Amino acid sequence: MARMKFYCDPERCIECNACVTACKNENEVPWGVNRRRVVTIKDGDPGERSLSVACMHCSDAPCATVCPVDCFYTTQDGVVLHDKDICIGCGYCFYACPFGAPQFPEDGAFATRGKMDKCTFCAGGPEADHSADEHRKYGSNRLAEGKLPLCAEMCSTKALLAGDADVISDVYRKRIINRGAAVLARGVSFQDASFRAPSNLGGKSSSQE
Amino acid sequence: MRTPAHHKTVPHALGVFGIYLLGLCLLLFSTLVDAQEKQPKELPTVQMMNPAAEFWRDVRQRSAPVSGKTQVGGVETGVLINATGDRWRQFRMSQLIPISGYILGGMVILLVAFYAIRGRVPIEGGMSEHKLPRYTGYERMIHWFMASIFIFLAVTGLILLFGRPLLIPVLGKEGFSILASASKEGHNLMGPLFLLALVMIIIQFVRRNIYQKGDLSWLIRGGGIIGKKHVPSNFFNMGEKTMFWLLVFVGGLIGVSGLILVFPVLGLGREIMALAHVGHAIGAILMITVIIGHIYIGTVGMEGAIEGMKTGYCDLNWAKEHHDLWASKAEENGEALSNQEVAKMRGDRGSVPPVHSGLQESGK
Amino acid sequence: MIGEFIDGPLWYFSITAFVIGVVWRIVAIVRAGLKPDLSIARGSAGSGAVRAIFSRFVPERTVTTRSRLQLIAGYMFHVGLLVLLFFAQPHVDFIAERITGFDWPAVPHWVFIVTAEFAFAGLILLWLHRVLNPVTRLLSDLDDHIGSILVFLVMLTGCLALAQSHESLRLLHLFLAEVFLIYFPFSKLMHAFTFVMSRGYTGATMGRKGVNA
Ligand code: HEM
Ligand code: HEM
Ligand code: SF4
Ligand code: SF4
Repeated sequence: MARMKFYCDPERCIECNACVTACKNENEVPWGVNRRRVVTIKDGDPGERSLSVACMHCSDAPCATVCPVDCFYTTQDGVVLHDKDICIGCGYCFYACPFGAPQFPEDGAFATRGKMDKCTFCAGGPEADHSADEHRKYGSNRLAEGKLPLCAEMCSTKALLAGDADVISDVYRKRIINRGAAVLARGVSFQDASFRAPSNLGGKSSSQE
Repeated sequence: MRTPAHHKTVPHALGVFGIYLLGLCLLLFSTLVDAQEKQPKELPTVQMMNPAAEFWRDVRQRSAPVSGKTQVGGVETGVLINATGDRWRQFRMSQLIPISGYILGGMVILLVAFYAIRGRVPIEGGMSEHKLPRYTGYERMIHWFMASIFIFLAVTGLILLFGRPLLIPVLGKEGFSILASASKEGHNLMGPLFLLALVMIIIQFVRRNIYQKGDLSWLIRGGGIIGKKHVPSNFFNMGEKTMFWLLVFVGGLIGVSGLILVFPVLGLGREIMALAHVGHAIGAILMITVIIGHIYIGTVGMEGAIEGMKTGYCDLNWAKEHHDLWASKAEENGEALSNQEVAKMRGDRGSVPPVHSGLQESGK
Repeated sequence: MIGEFIDGPLWYFSITAFVIGVVWRIVAIVRAGLKPDLSIARGSAGSGAVRAIFSRFVPERTVTTRSRLQLIAGYMFHVGLLVLLFFAQPHVDFIAERITGFDWPAVPHWVFIVTAEFAFAGLILLWLHRVLNPVTRLLSDLDDHIGSILVFLVMLTGCLALAQSHESLRLLHLFLAEVFLIYFPFSKLMHAFTFVMSRGYTGATMGRKGVNA
């Protein structure tokens, strides 16, 4: 069985938020909830990079361990899903999740949060595939149609990868090797933001006197 | 275990040696070339590292917590990795739940064993013919107000804490979800009332709970548990006073941390929420343990103890045996009333025909 | 099955029993009539009645000092309950759907909960006062306790169903509300309506005599 995974390549992500929009539209996510978000670090400084994050579908998922009503389950594809009929909206999964994936439609006083909502890897929920109930609670079920999550399919730079973990890590490994070669060829590290070779202008000036 | 490691080191050592040799050859070769060309050429130094390594180090927060920018609003959406989440999970799942299970179970077993060995603590002199007024109506009212809310909160809280290991196997996930949802809503709504009750209790009882002279000797003699003789004490004994101050401080901690948990609107970070949960849970377990003991003494553990809280009057002999310093002073002041007078004032049916004596309970 | 019964027939039965019962009790009181007031008319009975109906909301001096707690708890409970009943979003929705056909603005969720907290505190304190104070304990009969406990249970199950996510919790709340509605007309809970008549009667008697009380 393939294990489904996301991977986001920060060297490619251009912070266009298309994945965020695609997800919201495809899954008709409740107001106030974003299952996916793009985070930019060192914004405006050298070395600025962006990453698109959502639920990472952890193998040993902290959210599933702490849930007091035990409403999470892992599908055979390795996707972590939850049952909204059982969730009591306590927020514990949000405290435990490393990636801030669980979201709540409300954050009202007296802990009225509503049912937890998070990325389903476009795999719906426990209801029958493509049923109206499933769509209302969890959004689309693309996996059942043999399609991958829309966020990654939409990504114009192919920074966001989704699919079989083996294939994805292979793709990323190849990218790293290519980048390594580029570094060798150009003589600069990617971390030094400039890609240009030095222009040998040492000792020159527009005026000599 | 030793041999495989040993096996591994041999080719490894060989490899290192090989590289060393190769390097030596290169060095030799380069000096030869150098000598031939006679003009030194600068080679660019190339650092071969994963170009994103530094970025990932930041993301994993190896040096300092990193918070980025994002278009998505909400709590800590700019944080890529929540460093405290997993520590909190470890605490709740592998420490809090099992350890508090042992503590609460142990407390119950201890009390059952204590009851089996020592039995009910009797009033040695037997019930007397006289009673002392001990609590006013208001005092009794706020005590039972506090007690009912505390017990409700403890039961609903423990359902949330132990439901997954203990109740899901019995009720099933759907069934337990109903109970858990009800418990959560009830706990969150009643929680703030506990603080109200706590404030009322503090204002009413604080003066009698300040530690006094006799208290230390009460402690040294184990509150009468060790040995047979009762130890004199004031209105409240050392044990009650300690429970009171635990209630003030631990109860206060539970209440304040509970309020933090109950208001996600404040948008506090997950670290603070997890911390509030830890304080809340530890405080609650501690307080529940103490209160189980309190309820034991009040109900089955001691003859005559509950009278004061129930009727407002306690038996004179009980008072002399357990709160001698207070009882003798009260008796001297002529506060003691005969059982008949008390029954009359309380209007107990069947005791005496109602007499309009002009005596009426006015709440002290 | 039982859910459909609670949601359907039992609801219609209980609301009918409530309306008929309340009307019947009020008509019975009104039909009992008043004996002619032969006292010398020094003032207006009508305005005395109206004055008393409202002025009695403001407690008398001795009440504010000697029964301060009952006064505060009483107001906390009654005002809280009134707001809960008619201005909580779920109730507004329910009443609009089942009875009136139109709705009105509800209070925000947090006001709803704070109000519920006040009502709970008031009710618990009042009931404890009832059983702990020797005088009120003697005055109370079974009806008083059933009434208090029924209101408490309706409120408690409502509070447990706050998540609005489990049908069975809502049905439990609805079931207790129905029991409460059926019990209401035949108990002291009727004071919610009859206070107008009792106050009006004393007010009229006093007003006619020109007493401002
Ligand atoms: C069914 C349960 C309970 C019973 C039977 C009970 C019984 C009693 C009795 C008999 C007393 C008076 C002791 C004396 O006269 O010296 C007392 C005092 C007290 N109880 Fe309880 N109680 C119960 C639950 C609780 C709970 C749940 C709390 C609080 C969380 C509580 C807090 C107190 C406090 C603060 C005092 C006054 C002691 C002091 O201030 O030192 N009780 N209780
Ligand atoms: C003294 C009485 C109280 C006791 C014994 C108590 C006990 C507990 C326990 C055992 C838990 C479960 C922790 C877990 O599941 O890991 C809990 C959770 C909680 N308590 Fe309390 N608590 C008390 C008072 C309060 C108060 C005064 C408040 C609020 C003002 C409060 C609010 C909460 C909240 C918000 C939670 C988290 C549960 C959720 O979000 O579903 N508690 N409490
Ligand atoms: S919600 Fe968080 S903890 Fe749970 S599987 Fe997704 S990333 Fe992991
Ligand atoms: S919010 Fe829902 S899914 Fe998350 S831990 Fe609580 S009950 Fe489980």
